[in-house]
Amino acid sequence: MDDIDRLEKEILVLRETLRRKEKEIFEIKKEFMPKLPSKVEKEIVNQNECAKNVVKISEKLPKWAIERYSRQILLPEIGVKGQEKLMGAKVLVVGAGGLGCPAAVYLAGAGVGEIGIVDYDQVDLTNIHRQILHSEADQNVSKAQSAADSLRSINSKIKLTPYNIELNPSNALEISANYDVILDCTDNVPTRYMLNDVSVLNKMPLISGSALKMEGQLTIYGYRAKTNQNDKGYKYIGPCYRCVFPTPPPPEAVGSCSADGVAGPIPGVIGTLQALETIKLIVGQTHDNLLVGRLLLFDGEDMSFRNVKLRPRNPECEICSESPKITKLLNYEVVCRMQSKEKDLDLDILPPKNRITAMKLAEALKATNKHLLVDVRSEHEFEMCKLDGAVNYPLEKLHRSNIDLLLKDIRDCCCRVTFICRRGNDSQIAVKRVLDVIEDEYKDKITDLTGGLHAWSKYVDGEFPVY
Amino acid sequence: TMEPLKVHIQFGGGAELLFDKIKRREVELPALKKYYPDCKHEKWLIKDLLVWIKDNLLKERPELFLQGDSVRPGILVLINDADWELYGELDYELQQNDTIMFISTLHGG
Ligand SMILES: [Zn+2]
Repeated sequence: MDDIDRLEKEILVLRETLRRKEKEIFEIKKEFMPKLPSKVEKEIVNQNECAKNVVKISEKLPKWAIERYSRQILLPEIGVKGQEKLMGAKVLVVGAGGLGCPAAVYLAGAGVGEIGIVDYDQVDLTNIHRQILHSEADQNVSKAQSAADSLRSINSKIKLTPYNIELNPSNALEISANYDVILDCTDNVPTRYMLNDVSVLNKMPLISGSALKMEGQLTIYGYRAKTNQNDKGYKYIGPCYRCVFPTPPPPEAVGSCSADGVAGPIPGVIGTLQALETIKLIVGQTHDNLLVGRLLLFDGEDMSFRNVKLRPRNPECEICSESPKITKLLNYEVVCRMQSKEKDLDLDILPPKNRITAMKLAEALKATNKHLLVDVRSEHEFEMCKLDGAVNYPLEKLHRSNIDLLLKDIRDCCCRVTFICRRGNDSQIAVKRVLDVIEDEYKDKITDLTGGLHAWSKYVDGEFPVY
Repeated sequence: TMEPLKVHIQFGGGAELLFDKIKRREVELPALKKYYPDCKHEKWLIKDLLVWIKDNLLKERPELFLQGDSVRPGILVLINDADWELYGELDYELQQNDTIMFISTLHGG
């Protein structure tokens, strides 16, 4: 074991050295890089300002670029001009997770001149089945950093900027103003509304992907024909997220990958297609060829792709109309009545007498086998791992007839009753639901396991899986 | 024209969880006046369908599907693969063999 520890530490040091040396060589190589990107970019902007100007290319692509990107330059849809635009483009990828990783891989591979990648989180082992830029060795490293390092090894000719921070209303406008396009690769409602507002206020398109379980969705919000010289519908503006979803969903209707699960290839597919739409957008495809005003629905369960038509931009939209009510960023966690970081969700809705710690529960279970353990996780999770003797009453089904069965179990139990879930939030909700309806005489024997099975694994049984 | 109205009802994005996890159904609706004798109009509108779904398919937690007389925020209703807003939302008149899809928006990534 000592050897393993020692080697792991040595590897960490070596990795850090490698990181430093790669950065060093990147800085040196940069001297020899063509100055093309920034120039081309400025020209594109100029052309867009007055679309009637004849396209003028200042410099041809250098030899290395023609060779390196030849397979996509061969496509008439991209070509030399498209490649120049890609090399002059700046893309901000928000979220270095299941969507952000595959999206960024293809953008880096395509030679997008500058990629910013934002994520406040660190790499966790449970991420790796879908977050393909991170490896086992990256555990606990910042996701933004880990992603940027992997991307650098894919393409050393582009500029990569990791932002190891949480994008919030005080920094989002400023950071994104340095880019041409935003990719929404995030995992929560408040951040999605914020990115929409950033996209509208900064007048930049938002390529929005999402994935959960076996399904994915993809569309482009806030598209403006004005910024695309090829687009004849000069005044056309596509709908924004608020045009389609003016009101956030109720918090209890929102799922997450860590609570509901996700098959790795699902965000893989959607993230990859986000990259494709980004590339098409940058090279100047017009809105009828892009997922503008349309939503792609992907269901991996029966392998169906569906393209549905969305409503047009709402002339009364709170943010993207001509006279918007919203003119600056808001507090999105308040607006959506939800937190953006699920990790911080720590309910505390029960009186202390109805709570029990993992250690105390372990003692109680040692003393008697009559203790009733009610596990409120899904049947599925229950099957994955459970405490000996626990019975399963999934919270999602704890209504009407089901709750009557449970109440009977509790009344019949001659000993104490403890509710269990993964992290100790759902168990409190279940206890609350029971306390609200059960007779007073039973109330004192009901508790919930504080911190859930995570706490059990930490304080009592290290063999119990943390997931 | 008293033949029953056949419509395809589909759920996705998690909305199917409220309907026994069944994503696709084919239903036959009786004559509207038979089902709602007090109804002022003759033909099935989407708003009537929502009530029918609530009475016949929705088992638990209607608040996760409906709000007031419409669907809750975050559920997109599609009539033959197009946003229902393009067709007058609640007042759209159902046609034989229509596909009405209820998609919950996803937020994971
Ligand atoms: Zn809008």
